Amino acid sequence: MSTDAHLQHAHKPAFAHLFWWFMFANGGGLAALVLPVHILVQGILGPLGIVPVVDQHQDTWISVLGNPIVKLYLLVLIALSFFHFAHRLRYLLVDFGVAAAKSTPAQVIFYGGAVVVTLATIWILLTTAPI
Amino acid sequence: MKAPAQATRTAPRSYQWTMPSSWWLRKRHYFLYVLREFTALPMALWLLWLLFDIKSAGSAGFQPPRSIGFVVFSAVCFVFATYHSYTFLKLAGVIMHVKAFDRPVPPRLVVLTMFGLWALASVVIGAVLIGFAR
Repeated sequence: MSTDAHLQHAHKPAFAHLFWWFMFANGGGLAALVLPVHILVQGILGPLGIVPVVDQHQDTWISVLGNPIVKLYLLVLIALSFFHFAHRLRYLLVDFGVAAAKSTPAQVIFYGGAVVVTLATIWILLTTAPI
Repeated sequence: MKAPAQATRTAPRSYQWTMPSSWWLRKRHYFLYVLREFTALPMALWLLWLLFDIKSAGSAGFQPPRSIGFVVFSAVCFVFATYHSYTFLKLAGVIMHVKAFDRPVPPRLVVLTMFGLWALASVVIGAVLIGFAR
């Protein structure tokens, strides 16, 4: 390979890396910004009866879930977060010395799991409270 | 073909170093790093529950989440989620290189902005979740 050709090859944009890092970083950022308040309100304050929350009554919950903006928000939140979680948990196993976590099958399992959750989320959002 | 003894003598020897399994307990920083990475698991579990909650909204036997077990589970997830937010947003000053008027924005200001966004997003999401309830 000539030097020019080698340089051209070396400077080829790494689109796969770009995609996975985009999903990882934005998933982590979005989860950091909005997940704690979801857990606090829907998981603690609502069930304890301290504040009224949309998912404590079926009619209000269905009504909110029927909004397309809410559907899009929940899809982005869940899908991006799971790509972040998949990356973190795979590298946690690598850090614990599980060499198999670096392998292609492990990548398929972790990132494929995020894809499965994304598809399940799309299906659930489309079939629950249709627009 | 070499004799077995000779083959053993000339075979490349490699040093197989393995990390002790308790490496992450040796220093506080290591432990906090592993804790930060682990936050993904409880957050993933809570989001899976949210997905289940969305799915059950359409069923006839809808039961709102009110059990004490669920509250305890959420409280544990909340601690991990808050730790994730703190560590992730604190890193924003290192990761994000923002320029304004051709001058780099100080990392501290980037971090402050991210924490401000966290507060704002929390207020807005909280207001929607509570405000649209009856």
